[in-house]
Amino acid sequence: MSGASSVLEDGTLLSRLDRALFWLERQLALLGGLAVFSLMVLAVVSVTGRNFFNQPLPGYVDWIEQAMPLIAFIAVSYCQRLGGHIRMDIVVGMMSGRVLWLAEFVSTAAMFILMVLLVWGTYAHFDRSFDFSAPLWSRDSSMDIAIPLWPGKLLAPIAFSVLSLRLFLQLWGYARAIRTGTSKPVAVPMIEDAATQAAHEAETVSGFDNGEGA
Amino acid sequence: MEPIDIGLIVSGFMLVMVVLGMRVAFAAALAGLAGLIWIFWAKKGYDPSAFVWALTVAVKTAGQVPHSKVSSQALSLIPTFILIGYLAYYAGLTKALFEAAKRWVGWLPGGLGVATVFATAGFAAVSGASVATSAVFARIAIPEMLKLGYDKRFAAGVVAAGGTLASLIPPSAILVIYAIIVEQDVGMLLLAGFLPGAVSALIYGGLVVLMAVGYKELGPPVTGFTWGERLRSLPPAMPIVFVVVIIICFIYNPFGGDAWGTPTEGGALGAFVVFCMAVYKGMRWKQFRDSLMETAKLAVMIFTIIWGVLIYVRFLGFADLPGAFSDWITSLEQSPMLTLVLILLAYAVLGMFMDAIGMLLLTLPVVYPAVIALNGGVDVAAADSAFGVSGTGCAIWFGILVVKMAELCLITPPIGLNCFVVAGVRPDISVQDVFRGASPFFVADAITIAVLVAFPSIVLWLPGLTG
Repeated sequence: MSGASSVLEDGTLLSRLDRALFWLERQLALLGGLAVFSLMVLAVVSVTGRNFFNQPLPGYVDWIEQAMPLIAFIAVSYCQRLGGHIRMDIVVGMMSGRVLWLAEFVSTAAMFILMVLLVWGTYAHFDRSFDFSAPLWSRDSSMDIAIPLWPGKLLAPIAFSVLSLRLFLQLWGYARAIRTGTSKPVAVPMIEDAATQAAHEAETVSGFDNGEGA
Repeated sequence: MEPIDIGLIVSGFMLVMVVLGMRVAFAAALAGLAGLIWIFWAKKGYDPSAFVWALTVAVKTAGQVPHSKVSSQALSLIPTFILIGYLAYYAGLTKALFEAAKRWVGWLPGGLGVATVFATAGFAAVSGASVATSAVFARIAIPEMLKLGYDKRFAAGVVAAGGTLASLIPPSAILVIYAIIVEQDVGMLLLAGFLPGAVSALIYGGLVVLMAVGYKELGPPVTGFTWGERLRSLPPAMPIVFVVVIIICFIYNPFGGDAWGTPTEGGALGAFVVFCMAVYKGMRWKQFRDSLMETAKLAVMIFTIIWGVLIYVRFLGFADLPGAFSDWITSLEQSPMLTLVLILLAYAVLGMFMDAIGMLLLTLPVVYPAVIALNGGVDVAAADSAFGVSGTGCAIWFGILVVKMAELCLITPPIGLNCFVVAGVRPDISVQDVFRGASPFFVADAITIAVLVAFPSIVLWLPGLTG
């Protein structure tokens, strides 16, 4: 199974676009992380208010449900750039050169088609709850304190559009790799063996223990 | 063509895409979407002019799934649990735990091995990720063991196996995911994991002691700690106890009366305690930002599989594949227990090639209804059921069994990730050595699973207390 992998860079237009998009993806991922942190803060405020001041946080559940799309979608492209979406790489791991790039091109193209269709589908879902002429532009709202639902619904097509852009760049990268037959293509996640992935994993979680115990 | 045939063909197509390396979440979503288009178009007799209609309806049906399925309070436990895990590294909890375990149980035969088992079990109480737990303890425990002349393979095996405890002892992300997919109470599943997790830790500890008694060369006990030194090792590890108590009390109040809140609040308060501890220990914005980004990445990976698989599940509903599979399973002329054991063995084989979360999410929509049907249905009473557990009990019990099964695969070749992680952290130990070192624990796990299959009450006792 593939976890995270590294992406090579050079001075070409493709690589520059890749890095520019990666900058955007990193900001979005941080936003997703802050949304997780805000869940924690909300709970602390809610529990403290309820138990010590007899004043529960109004619409606590509504706010959580609003934060969830942010956590669930916004970093989807960041994860794809880093090769973080899991997959079985036993078969592709045995391929190399043009055969490998062709296989990657095909599965990435399938993902691209899917995501473009889902941008349409999730936008339609958003569109049903959005109305310029309604109060707060909203046709539906949350159960408790009536927060409009459309901003959360809009996050899905936005995040999926960024992912579609990322997949387009990766298709470009694989197409170029097929043409040149290179073994080191830029702007696409490289397949790594279990040991390299493991080393990445260990690096991520080392915290302050890094270098002290080893 | 009947919907069930479309279901089979599309599911086969999905498996081919997964094997060819397509990311699991997207392979499932694509299969679901393609299947929906096919079924809707088939209803119109494949009329060419109706294709656009079928495509539009299918895309809009699939487009509802991501937002409507992820906006749930129960799912918010997953990112919170992940955040606790990442912050725990900066809270210095890993070293504190190992130090405390060493002082308290180090005098036993194979002392540092036993200490490693209990420290990983303790760390599991703040982390739901097996692989990460092994990575951390490979850095902390292995150097100390090697310094004292412990056998290299043994040291590596204990760490790889100890990491698997994280998946059962709450907070466990994988149990939350299971609960969401099979629509069971999250709190009940988290509670149910506690006892089997603790039993696994005790069995591991006992195994280490037995091995060390049998083979003196595995490693010496560590003795000479005074009671004062032992007591002083406890305060730094206290936040773990605090987190465990909070999470348990928010699910089920052992002191009588109502639970203190929802599991979501418990998880979030636990994260807050670990966060404060990490700040106290010197975590700054850069480390905090890294934790947030890693949490966001792992969370989005899990959520993408969830909505991807749920699009596939939406299609399965139209194709009625789960119903057909249940009918087939219940019509088999063999004992239900044998069928259950075969299903568990199939998971063991599948888990050797696939990540646990992906494997469970892809298979549960079809397998879970079949297991429930095998037991006698959703509403069956324990007395009338095939496995001697009620419908809800069966859901919880099966969840613990498959998760334990999936974890078993983390220490088996060819892709037992925990073993690779240990070898990755310690380049001086080959991955073959880690696999060999972990093999006694594999046997212990197999026995644990057999015991859990034979005595469901070990799993169901704690959730049963809540009524």
